[in-house]
Amino acid sequence: MNQIIEQIFYIYFFISLSILSIGVIVSKNIIHSAFFLLIFLLHVAAVFLFLNAEFLMIIQIIVYVGGVLALFIFAIMVMNIKEELRHKRFVRFSISGLIAGLLFLGILYTFVKDVRSSENVLSTSDVTLLGKLLYSYYLLPFEILSLVLLVALVGGIIIARKTPFDKEFK
Amino acid sequence: MSLSGYLLLSATLFSIGLIGFLIRRDLIVMLMCLEIMFNAVNIAFASFSYYNANLIGQIFVLFSIAVAASEAVIGLAIVLAVVRNTGINHSDDIANLRG
Repeated sequence: MNQIIEQIFYIYFFISLSILSIGVIVSKNIIHSAFFLLIFLLHVAAVFLFLNAEFLMIIQIIVYVGGVLALFIFAIMVMNIKEELRHKRFVRFSISGLIAGLLFLGILYTFVKDVRSSENVLSTSDVTLLGKLLYSYYLLPFEILSLVLLVALVGGIIIARKTPFDKEFK
Repeated sequence: MSLSGYLLLSATLFSIGLIGFLIRRDLIVMLMCLEIMFNAVNIAFASFSYYNANLIGQIFVLFSIAVAASEAVIGLAIVLAVVRNTGINHSDDIANLRG
């Protein structure tokens, strides 16, 4: 019974994640693709819940939905894109990009289709184990990551500020 | 479900993100497709972590989320600078490399 419910939810998430990510690509209005991306990220958080990764679900919602997506919508507002509705959406050679992506999917499928795994799965673990691992074995990458975030913060401010050569570049 | 099911989901989402990155013209949607690809890889990491009974995959997802956040910041800043300096927001209109 439990297996069947999990199967049904897996099929639902497969179909809905595919439809939502295709919706990000094909939607004409750019703010619509931002909202497709919002629902996509929430579905990915639910998939994390199925994989016994509750902490990742919380982090996914806080960082992606609360941070990255708000940043995207803020950038769309700042850039004030209105003419998008009458421009064409895809590049000229988009059919070759489609073929390349489908070829890539085929190659990945040959690797993925009969992969085997061990019988014991991850039990429901609390956050304490994750925190202990993060602060003992992975302490140095964790600290380097804080530096990466600092550099991204400073770099974002420096790149996006107004430059004095605005006019001459046009 | 088995491990291959989740890996198939991850591969499909990664391919859709790759196709979107290749064929869309406007820069912000290209960055959104990068986020889709990051999420596909995160699903693969988390499913490996689940089916090997090992927490290290979740640690890598945490690192990946932090790198994705900083990537979105830098990418949007570059797009904003390009739009402000040249008035272009389509990827195939950017033709000069100077400055």
